[in-house]
Parts: sequence; C-alpha cells; structure tokens
Amino acid sequence: MKKIRFLIALWIAKLIKLLLKLLGRQGTYFSGKVAIKLCPDFLGLIGRPGTVIGVTGTNGKTTVCNMITDLLEAGGMEVLSNRLGSNINAGVATALIDDASITGRCKKRIAVLEIDERSARLIYPYFKPDYLVITNLFRDSMRRNAHSEFIASILTEYIPKSTKLILNTDDLISSAVAPENERVYFGMERLEGEEEAPKNIVRDIVVCPVCGRALQYDFRRYHHIGRARCECGFASKAPDYLALSADFENMRIKVSEKGQERDYRLISDTVFNIYNELAAITVLRELGKTPEEVEEALQRIEVVKSRFWEEEKCGKTVTMLMAKGLNAVACSRAFDYIRREQGKKVVALMYDDIFDEKETSENIAWIYDVDYEFLNTEELVQVIPCGVRALDGKLRLLIAGVPEDKITPVSCEAEVAGAIRYGEADRIFLLYDVYRHNIAVKVRAEVMKKIEEVSSC
Amino acid sequence: MLIEILYPELCNLFGDTGNMRYLKRCLPEAEFAETSLNEEPRFVSAVPSLIYMGPMTERAQERVIERLSPYKERIAELIDTGCIFLFTGNAMEVLGESIEAPEGKIEGLGVLKIRAKRDMKNRHNSLFLGNFGDMDIVGFHSRFSTAESEEPGFAAVLRGSGINKSAKTEGVHKNNFFGTNLLGPVLVINPDFTQYLIGLMGSDKRIAFEETARAAFAARLKEFKDERRHLD
Repeated sequence: MKKIRFLIALWIAKLIKLLLKLLGRQGTYFSGKVAIKLCPDFLGLIGRPGTVIGVTGTNGKTTVCNMITDLLEAGGMEVLSNRLGSNINAGVATALIDDASITGRCKKRIAVLEIDERSARLIYPYFKPDYLVITNLFRDSMRRNAHSEFIASILTEYIPKSTKLILNTDDLISSAVAPENERVYFGMERLEGEEEAPKNIVRDIVVCPVCGRALQYDFRRYHHIGRARCECGFASKAPDYLALSADFENMRIKVSEKGQERDYRLISDTVFNIYNELAAITVLRELGKTPEEVEEALQRIEVVKSRFWEEEKCGKTVTMLMAKGLNAVACSRAFDYIRREQGKKVVALMYDDIFDEKETSENIAWIYDVDYEFLNTEELVQVIPCGVRALDGKLRLLIAGVPEDKITPVSCEAEVAGAIRYGEADRIFLLYDVYRHNIAVKVRAEVMKKIEEVSSC
Repeated sequence: MLIEILYPELCNLFGDTGNMRYLKRCLPEAEFAETSLNEEPRFVSAVPSLIYMGPMTERAQERVIERLSPYKERIAELIDTGCIFLFTGNAMEVLGESIEAPEGKIEGLGVLKIRAKRDMKNRHNSLFLGNFGDMDIVGFHSRFSTAESEEPGFAAVLRGSGINKSAKTEGVHKNNFFGTNLLGPVLVINPDFTQYLIGLMGSDKRIAFEETARAAFAARLKEFKDERRHLD
C-alpha cells in the first residue's frame, strides 16, 4: 500500500513537472510539494544516490553547494543537485523526482543538496545525508529563524546520527551542533595583514556556553567568527583542515590537512569565500579525492558572480552587491566590504522587503542589528536609503552618526539614479535584496547612462 | 543620570540594542552602565534613572534568572518605589512566577504575577498597534511564548496580539515598570512614548532627530491603521 501511494505520488509529480515545462515554467518545488502532500514520507521512499552531501547554515550554503557540485562535475561525475531549485523539503523532493526513473529509482550516484536549516525536521527524519556541511550559524530572519541557538537546537535534534558533519571550527555555534556525530573541522589561521574585526553589533556567542564567563578571542575575524577559549577549559576545536596562509597575488592557499601541508588554487579573494572553498575542499578530501584531483578540479571552476558585479565607466566604478534583506550579518558584511574599499563613495540601499511593502508593513528591527556605523566614514559622500522604509533608513543612519547632509532618502528605485551626486563620487555601490535583483539591474543601467551624461565621456 | 543596561552580552536579540543607542543620542550627558553577567548590578546600591533589559534566548532566560535571583527583593522594592524599568521582548518573563517550557517548569523570580508558556514549535510573528494613555504605540512581536498576567497591562490592543491571544492589553505596566513583548527598537519607533519616558526620568530634553523620527512614525502608523494591510 505504501509503495502504491508512493508510486502514484511520483507519477503525478512527474506529470506536473511535464505540464509546467510545457507551460514554460521552471517549477522549482511545486511537483515535490504535491508529492509530499500525497505521500508524507515520500522523501524516505524515493531512491537516493549512493552518496548524499547536504549543505546547510545561515550564509554561504548556495556558494558551497555550487562549488562542491562544480568540483565534482569538473572531475567527471554526474551530480544530482537542487542548485536551480528550492532548498526546503519540497525542493529536495523535486530534485529527486527529476532524477528518478518511473519506478522511483535514482539514476545519479551522488547528490549535493542545499538544505534550509529550518527544514531539518521535515527532511532528516526521511532523508539522511552521508555528509552534512554546516557553513555557519548567525542570527537571521527573526520571524523564520528566531535566533541561532534555536536553529542549532533544531539541527542537533534532527540531524541523523549516521551523518558525518563537516564543520567550521571558527564558529563556536555551528561547530557545537549534534555533538555525538562523527565530525571533521575546517578553520582558518589569521592571514598575513588581516585586521582584527571592528566591533560588530551582532555577536551571537559572547559568553562561554559551559560556565558563562566572557569568552577570550585569540583572533576575531568578524561577528563571533574566530578562535576563542575560556578560563574553564572550553575552546574552539583543533581543525583537521586548516588554511595556513593565502597568497592573493598568485591566488594560492596553503592548507594543513591532518598535519600534511597542501597547496591549492584560491578561487576568490574574499575571506568569506575562503571559508566556502575550505568547506568544499574538506568535502572532496573526505570523499577520498586526492589533493591532485582536488587541485585539478579547482583549476576548472569559477565562483558564481551573480551576487557581485562591477564595472568602470568614465573613471567611476559602479558595484552591485547583494545584501540580503532581513539578514543583518549579510548586510553588515557588505557594509564592511564598502568600508575597506578606497575612494569617495555613494551607497544606495535597496533592500526593503518586497512582499511586506505590498501587504503589511515591514518589521524593521533587524536594521538595528546591521553595522550602519561602518558607513560613517570621511570617504562616504552620500547614502541613499530607498523605498517605503527610506525614513527608517535615514533615522538608522543618523543614529549611526552619519551627517544628515549626506543622507538622501528616496521613495523608490526609479529615483536612485537621479539622486546620486555624481560629481563627488569615485565609487557607487548599489546594494540590493535577492528579490530586487532585476530592479537593481535597471537602476545600474540608469546609473551607467547618467555617468556618461554627466562625464561627457 | 544613571541608565543601567542589564546583561547586554546576552540580552541583545532582534535589534533591541537600538533602544539604548538611540537613548544615548537623546541623553548624551547620561551615564550608561552596562552590567555583565558576572558583575553585581548597579541597582543594588543605587537607584538608576532607568533599568533596561532586552530580549534573550530561552537558555539565556534561565541564566539571567539565576544571576538575578539574589536581588529579587531589591527589584521588587525598586518597582514598588517607582524606579523606572523598561524590559522588552521576553525579558519581563524572568521576573514572573514561572515559565512553562517543553522540558518542564522554570521558576521565575516571582516579582510579577505573570506566568509564561513557551511553544517552541510555533513562533508567533505579528505587528502591534495600541494605545498607552493618549499615545499611539506601534511595534513588532516575534516570540515563542505567551503569558497569563494578573498585572496591569502596558498598552491597550487596537490591532494585533496582547500578552496572549485573547488579552486586551499588551505587556505590563506597574508603577514605573514598563514590560512589553514588543521587541526591536521600541523607543526609536515610538517618539511619543520615548519623549514621555525621558520626561519621567526627569529630563526636559527633546528626543534626538525628532523630525525624522516623527515622520517615520507617521508613515508606520498610517500603514498599521490601514485595515487592508494585515498585521500578522
């Protein structure tokens, strides 16, 4: 009976997928949603590849997933993934349905799946990854995720005991998840010339989880990420895969792997992406790939650039930077990036919640967790909070100490290009939420056109 | 003027640190004392002009109860004698009689007659519109817990939820103790209440960035009063 119900759900899901395709729709999760509705334990009954790698965490999971998939594909493997789909249970089911035969048998031998951390209780009881990377855990949308301790507790409760964890030892929250599971740690030494983090507002772990004393950081990279210890003996775990140094000129990274030193191609020069690459290298090495095979695969891949775009026009550099709305850490990382860049800067902030602005009113509490203070520098010539929450943005900037004459609130994206003081700017940063990508691309085109007009170049 | 911030290393979730950053702009001459978990609170030997505590994780609530336990009589005395408190989010639950959790009942400090109950499977998110006296109050709820209270409420509910789903009031207002489940930058987004609080603290200063704060408040209030917009 169970099998019949499963097969009916599978066939209906496949039919839906076909219909969506005929209608020209992508259908990233709908067929999976229907399948689970018809057969609640669908994920436990559908055929699974011999090896399943899951990737979860607050930030970086899409990048890590893409890296692992690209690296495996560069090594000649066919990989089942949900990279074009959703990362909740329905998205995972959709990816498996797409690959399944008519009897539900899985065709591919390996899967790399991005898994939403909140979906743990809906996925892991049925579908057990062999390896699970947890990139990091930070506070995220308060509505969905509450706080990082809550997410850590969900993961600890639902991650299958058989799953081997791949953890960032520089994150004391995610590295403590599911303590009974087999695990390997990756981490990063302080790099040459790397500065200590400025005082971030958000530091999700400050006191020792054992005794409550203040944690002592040997080095704090950003927020709570770094190497810490406590008088009581509690400390960050020794990493199995440790990035020792990075050569940004030649784009190489030295990694100590269980005591043996290796040298790999570095595919991005941002610290966040070094962690992502380390996670991917750790997965491949744990899968049994040789350092030579990993290096060869690394030579063939590029980091996805959809979240970062930069172009120079008439002596001005325009940068589009994704800064996920409702995610204070992602926005703070973007502000920190801008702070470190040289030149006179104009920054446009386009990350009001696209859904809330139509139907309700956005809970803007999260912007008080964002380090707007990083924008308050001599080099900032103008900041443009944009959208229905522009006045909230202006107030936040005033509290951060940004002088009022540098703040130009505008009510919608269409007004951004016209509001920029082009004469004063060397750099123009357009920060946008993931759901505003297309709008931001339009703003970018208008800005480029305006630069041409005002510069006569 | 002494403003004591209790346990900011733990009680800092959901943008609530914005409250004290804003108050520092409003009252630049005031002394803001941050009391950490391993220190004796300043209120033990002094009467601050304001004692503030923000929301925290559920595990941190237990730690805070343990640390404040030796001072519960002093807290009760300060509330009874009119000391000003502002507790946001789930902070006031630690002063209650108990918190019912899935793992069992946690004894609170017993200073307030409230009993909280956690439901970790269901997070309640909504917006709030209410009145405190003749002032409009707006705010955000995002919580796992609700409470039964025998204390007077802080704000009358116009739209959204109170201290529990069927309650007509939100939070607790006992003498000059203000406890609210609203979280985030409560003071930043409620200029009238913040002006009132500053007056209660004995200052005649105007709130910082008043024009922008009031314009942002007016925009939010219009949305919250718009029946076509849902608040949950």
